[in-house]
Amino acid sequence: MNCLLPTDFDRHDDVIVGVIANPASGRDIRRLTAKASVFTAAEKANMVQRLLGPFGALGVDRVMIMPDSSGIAATVERSAQINRSRGESVWPLIEQVKMKSTGGVEDSQNAARIMRDAGARAIVVLGGDGTHRVIAKVVPELPMATLSTGTNNVFPDWREATVTGIATALHVTGRIDPSITLRRNKQLRVNLGEYTDIALVDVCVTRLTHVGARAVWDPDTIAELFVAFAEPDAIGLSSIAAMINPLTRDEPRGLCLRCGTEGRRVLAAIAPGVLETVVIDHCEIMQPGVRYAIRTERGSIALDGEREIEFHRGQVPRVTLELNGPPTLDVSSTLAAAARLGVMATPCAREMLR
Amino acid sequence: MNTELNRESLLKAYRMMRTIREFEERVHTDFATGEIPGFVHLYAGEEASATGVCMHLSGNDYIASTHRGHGHCIAKGVDPAGMMAEIWGKETGTCKGKGGSMHIADLSKGMLGANGIVGGGGPLICGTALAAKLRGDKTVGVCFFGDGASNQGTILEAMNLATVWNLPAIFVAENNGYAETTSPNYSVACENIADRAAAFGMPGVIVDGFDFFAVYEAAGEAVKRAREGGGPTLIEVKVSRYYGHFEGDQQKYRAEGEVQKLRNEKDCLMQFRRHVTADGDISAAELDAIDAEVLAMIDDSVVRAKADPKPGPEELLTDVYVSY
Amino acid sequence: MARKITYQQAINEALDQEMSRDPSVIVMGEDNAGGEGSPGEMDAWGGVLGVTKGLYHKHPGRVLDTPISESAFIGAAIGAACNGLRPVAELMFVDFMGVCFDQIFNQAAKFRYMFGGKAETPVVIRTMYGAGFRAAAQHSQCLYSLFTHVPGLKVVVPSNPYDAKGLLIESIRDNDPVIFFENKVLYTMEGEVPEEIYTVPFGEAAILREGDDVTIVALGRMVNMAQEAAEALQKDGIHCEIIDPRTTSPLDEETILESVEKTGRLVVVDEANPRCSMASDIAGLVVRKAFGALKAPIEQVTAPHVPPPFSDVLEDLYVPNAAKIERAVTRVAEYR
Ligand SMILES: Cc1ncc(C[n+]2csc(CCOP(=O)(O)OP(=O)(O)O)c2C)c(N)n1
Ligand SMILES: [Mg+2]
Repeated sequence: MNCLLPTDFDRHDDVIVGVIANPASGRDIRRLTAKASVFTAAEKANMVQRLLGPFGALGVDRVMIMPDSSGIAATVERSAQINRSRGESVWPLIEQVKMKSTGGVEDSQNAARIMRDAGARAIVVLGGDGTHRVIAKVVPELPMATLSTGTNNVFPDWREATVTGIATALHVTGRIDPSITLRRNKQLRVNLGEYTDIALVDVCVTRLTHVGARAVWDPDTIAELFVAFAEPDAIGLSSIAAMINPLTRDEPRGLCLRCGTEGRRVLAAIAPGVLETVVIDHCEIMQPGVRYAIRTERGSIALDGEREIEFHRGQVPRVTLELNGPPTLDVSSTLAAAARLGVMATPCAREMLR
Repeated sequence: MNTELNRESLLKAYRMMRTIREFEERVHTDFATGEIPGFVHLYAGEEASATGVCMHLSGNDYIASTHRGHGHCIAKGVDPAGMMAEIWGKETGTCKGKGGSMHIADLSKGMLGANGIVGGGGPLICGTALAAKLRGDKTVGVCFFGDGASNQGTILEAMNLATVWNLPAIFVAENNGYAETTSPNYSVACENIADRAAAFGMPGVIVDGFDFFAVYEAAGEAVKRAREGGGPTLIEVKVSRYYGHFEGDQQKYRAEGEVQKLRNEKDCLMQFRRHVTADGDISAAELDAIDAEVLAMIDDSVVRAKADPKPGPEELLTDVYVSY
Repeated sequence: MARKITYQQAINEALDQEMSRDPSVIVMGEDNAGGEGSPGEMDAWGGVLGVTKGLYHKHPGRVLDTPISESAFIGAAIGAACNGLRPVAELMFVDFMGVCFDQIFNQAAKFRYMFGGKAETPVVIRTMYGAGFRAAAQHSQCLYSLFTHVPGLKVVVPSNPYDAKGLLIESIRDNDPVIFFENKVLYTMEGEVPEEIYTVPFGEAAILREGDDVTIVALGRMVNMAQEAAEALQKDGIHCEIIDPRTTSPLDEETILESVEKTGRLVVVDEANPRCSMASDIAGLVVRKAFGALKAPIEQVTAPHVPPPFSDVLEDLYVPNAAKIERAVTRVAEYR
């Protein structure tokens, strides 16, 4: 056992963490229409490796990683072998999930299901809003530790992977109570007849009748916007709402905006490096559980910034704010608690200040 | 805004894609009879790529194509009847029967040629784009190339040069999953061809090549950027081909039922039809009428191609500065 | 024991036998097995026309499919040859030399001389050439003279299955870079080939037919056409001597000169374009070294100085044929 801390936690099962690094994140048209960042596979592999030190040190036994053809998982596995052969390893066992890669979003979803079924206590997700959304859709109750490597990064954390690794390990080993480590998120549900889908940040109704290249980058095409939360320092469509009425991740409310030709003009950072003016002629608070009808006659619906659904004349999609969205790891409060409780320090170290 | 297509443009795009499809299906059938000579590489399945890109181009813009060039030619406005005659090796062909399927070109339409050399088009497009830039005429150059070609030095050198000279060039990587029998999973060292753009200092984006609208939007932005002096872009179009590498290929390297599944579930024409008829702006009958017209036009081009004369013997020694 | 196999099978057999005999022999090229990374079968093609089929499974790990990066993998074959392997790399069509020629003519060709005799580069580059497939301007050329021009390269142009096998084995064992030219039309040609391993030495021309009237020097596919022509001319009482140099570098000058000394008349048949070709090279040789023996101007039967055309009627005019050879021989024979 490599663990550097006492292992007096519940371990009648192996402590397993899943890691999903979406190799395709960060390649959409916003590389062209904006200056969105590009995360290389090598950087994603580095980030995963930065999780492994904390995992091993804090008693995670096994890490299941999604296979991919860009070499992220393979690089990690190779490093783990080298690490082990040098005998200096504090890394947990690494295993690639046995599954067929298709290169599509199904990969992330299949991997998440397999990890859940194998008993993973949390998944670390490296991706953008879209990656987190598709995973939350299939494993809604499995805690996600979020790391941004996508295009629109409102939902996931922008933070150093090492720290996320520490917090994740403290959570999965039960050293800190889930009431502190986890945060319950809101989500927006879209219903169109039988069809249902979710967004974690925003639902944008566009006048474009096709899904096309997915992103929404022309403000003139935006008709309606629903947000679960709106942080003024965020980027993307939710920042439009934030400039009118900021909403935290915790308050039980959402916001619904409709665009027009006359009304309040809002300047917002709708994409990396891009400030655009949007004219808002209607704004209302969304109450949880209420179904809000989309007024636009035809168009497409973007979930967390990517057009996913086309709807036609005669169809009325509805949007509902739900408070029981996916649980995510609250890295700041977890580490604050770790400090407060002295989890990472020996008792005598704590006595130094007295 | 490039993303909004009026009725007329939608019908034009549909006709273009249908023409390519019909042309290729017809060459496929005729090849099987043994009457068509040489190596023929069909573009069926990839129509949305050429169409989505070329809908943004005018006759003064240039494209460079590949050995799988019929679709690019048609989308750039080359006369399908002349192409058919060329494939049949006739004097009335686009290149008088001297070039064949792999070398169809029409400079008057800004079509710099299909190409028998994998990766041959990249440097050439840097050249047309350089000329456009020096003249300041706001035209652009588009290099179509395959996933296999993405590994060719010429393509990589061309992308670097395009950024160094800030050229109005667009690199369209048509990733159809195979280079002959070899998958990019094996031959391309990174996950996506688009990933390489970063290394050349240009944006790289990925689009679904079965979705005309996705290609159209991405190409629209790239062309706009190039025309405005913003420099080159790499667009990776993820797509597939319906037939073998060339006609006669047994395709043992493919999965069983692979193509049928794509035809049933993803086909670009099928998706396009479903999309544009959903709101009743365009009727299925209108599209059917286009199908019928295209079919008749292709039929006619084959009848003519078959009847047309072969080039005369004197043609052997012309079009070269001197022959010995 | 000899049995009838095709030119293509002879090449496959040579590779197979040399790989079995010598573990340092490896094979690489585009789709030489086929199917890497793809969902279907491996060894799906065995090369674009199936020449290397079966080697992949027989010699695990020693048949490498490559990306379409000729500079990189032809160069890598050369580098590997410097480090103890005997790679046989395939440049699918010789027309593609344009994207990798530096590695061949500035690197491989120069090493032994430029490094003062200290380097050996035992690499073989197999490549397809020639018209007849309606494959048009960039897949039909006949470019051995370009390689023959470069000191340091050995250039092999077999005209039949027996020579193909023996010369390929010789090429693999040779310590210099060898460019091995395979005519795509000849792949289906059958001929007697021993099952055993044997070699055909470089720089030794074959005299395929003896005759006193006219010497015909022909290469590759043209050898068969020359034989056909000679057969017909025989009936008119013109007796041709047919010489197949088999390798253009080194070139067996002696056999050619001896024959011309005897006949005094020479026709060179070469599928390549005429300027700076093997045809003009051999004609020049004879003029320089056997001028006194010549009784008639030398004739060259070659493709015209134009790129290979696509249309079948034009391509058939482009490639030399037996009738053209007969006419040339007749003119030379009748010259007084
Ligand atoms: C320089 C060069 N190398 C090899 C070839 C042979 N060749 C022709 S097409 C092809 C595969 C090309 O694959 P890709 O670029 O993916 O285009 P696709 O056929 O899939 O459209 C190869 C290897 C060639 N024509 N030129
Ligand atoms: Mg391909």
